[in-house]
Amino acid sequence: MAIQAALEEEQVATTPLLQVQGLTMSYGVGDSENKILSDLNLEVNDGEFVSIVGPSGVGKTTLLRCLSGLIQPRSGTVSVGGETINGPHRDLAVVFQDYSRSLMPWMTTLENVAFPLQGRGVGKKERNETAENNLAAVGLAGQGHKYPWEMSGGMQQRVAIARALAYNAKVLLMDEPFASVDAQTRFDLEDLVIDLQASLGVTIILVTHDIDEALYLADKVIVLAEKPATVVDVIETGFGDHRDQVETKADPRFAEARARILHRLRDH
Amino acid sequence: MKTSTKSLDWGLNAQRLLAVAVLLAIWQVVIWSGTLPSMTPGVAALASSIGEAVASATFWSALAQTMAAAVSGWLIAVVAGTVLGLLIGSVRVLDRSTSILIDFGRSFPVLALMPVVIMLLGATAQMETVVVALSCLWPVLVQTIYGARRMEAAVVDTVQIFQIPAFLRFRRVLLPSATPFIATGIRIAASISILVAVGVEVLSQTPGIGRQITLAQQAQRWDSAFAYLFFAGLVGWGIASLLHFAEGRILKWNRQTND
Repeated sequence: MAIQAALEEEQVATTPLLQVQGLTMSYGVGDSENKILSDLNLEVNDGEFVSIVGPSGVGKTTLLRCLSGLIQPRSGTVSVGGETINGPHRDLAVVFQDYSRSLMPWMTTLENVAFPLQGRGVGKKERNETAENNLAAVGLAGQGHKYPWEMSGGMQQRVAIARALAYNAKVLLMDEPFASVDAQTRFDLEDLVIDLQASLGVTIILVTHDIDEALYLADKVIVLAEKPATVVDVIETGFGDHRDQVETKADPRFAEARARILHRLRDH
Repeated sequence: MKTSTKSLDWGLNAQRLLAVAVLLAIWQVVIWSGTLPSMTPGVAALASSIGEAVASATFWSALAQTMAAAVSGWLIAVVAGTVLGLLIGSVRVLDRSTSILIDFGRSFPVLALMPVVIMLLGATAQMETVVVALSCLWPVLVQTIYGARRMEAAVVDTVQIFQIPAFLRFRRVLLPSATPFIATGIRIAASISILVAVGVEVLSQTPGIGRQITLAQQAQRWDSAFAYLFFAGLVGWGIASLLHFAEGRILKWNRQTND
């Protein structure tokens, strides 16, 4: 019995939450066909923080759009919890790069965060309560009455994160979420996301072109390169739960992994 | 902060009053110089005929008739244009198939339709309302289609990701996102409604301010013709200002995000 249970446990632990198999994506047909992604495979376990890093224009956003079900791949599959997706999925929430445009300016912050819940038919009192709690979780307690355009860029991005959290999906997909904020705000937001991930246990897949950011945040870094893009390396960072903007980045393993990724990207 | 905007307003209002005064002065100088026909009223004559018009029952009933036709035609156009525009703008197939019709319709000189509508309905208030409605429909329709079509890509993605149901999407996303465009269409249509109503009255002798202008002209009463003209302009301007004010309040978010 004990052995049986242990085996089952191991089985559960090794079944990835999100799995991508043989993913190929291209635009156009025939001679004008532009291949973006080629035979791409990756696995993300439950509770893991995974960064996908690669140079600008390699196809990271296309990959993220495939993962989120916004576009259908030419071939290959994306599955969540063993279920192949063929469109947006209840277990997938997205934080977009273009936060100022993805928040709706005619809604208050609270309404923005509560909106996905409204779409699911959650009653007003309950959804506002959930929205308020999630705003508090991202450090915006009591700011729900404000409109997005009354807030700074960093605060708007916090709202976008709160909205994705309120949706309570298993996987949070983030597309270059901190690319358009200043350096200090960026560090604050990175640490916020690390804390949220530790406290909520949500699985996060974050796409970035910034190698340092990829390493600092993730348990596992997936390196994309070549044209069409494919996975050229997977690095387990092994920094554990505790991260610090100064200490972690001074860790010899950080420098080593950084060099390895740079080599990988240069060789291709 | 508040005092500075207030004093700015004072300065602005003073400047605007000055512009009006300058215009009136130029008018009076032109009259004195004798370049215009002698029957053209001066500022004083104009002022007294405006006073005379305001005191007469004929003026108020003419104004009421013009306003009734203009406002009812405009309202019909606003309702029809918004509903049709939202439908066309949000359904791809409709948008593509109707685009030729709409381009044709918006460039059609609706006043030329008037004789046909008179044949059908006579020179009546209904005829006037119909012509106003037909003229006002196009700006509302075209603007609404633009608004419904042009949803931010990031908003479209967001709505898809969170699987927002169709009706909620329409009510909370498509409609508010299109409102600034719809508001512009409504405002343009309001100016057109007065313009067309007065024009129809001048051309067809349907009762209203336009007819009074023609009658004054035939009676060689240039001063009262000018007084009526002044009121036609005033009404148009009043409506436009009112709508602009309403728009500023309702669409506060739009002004903020466009800064």
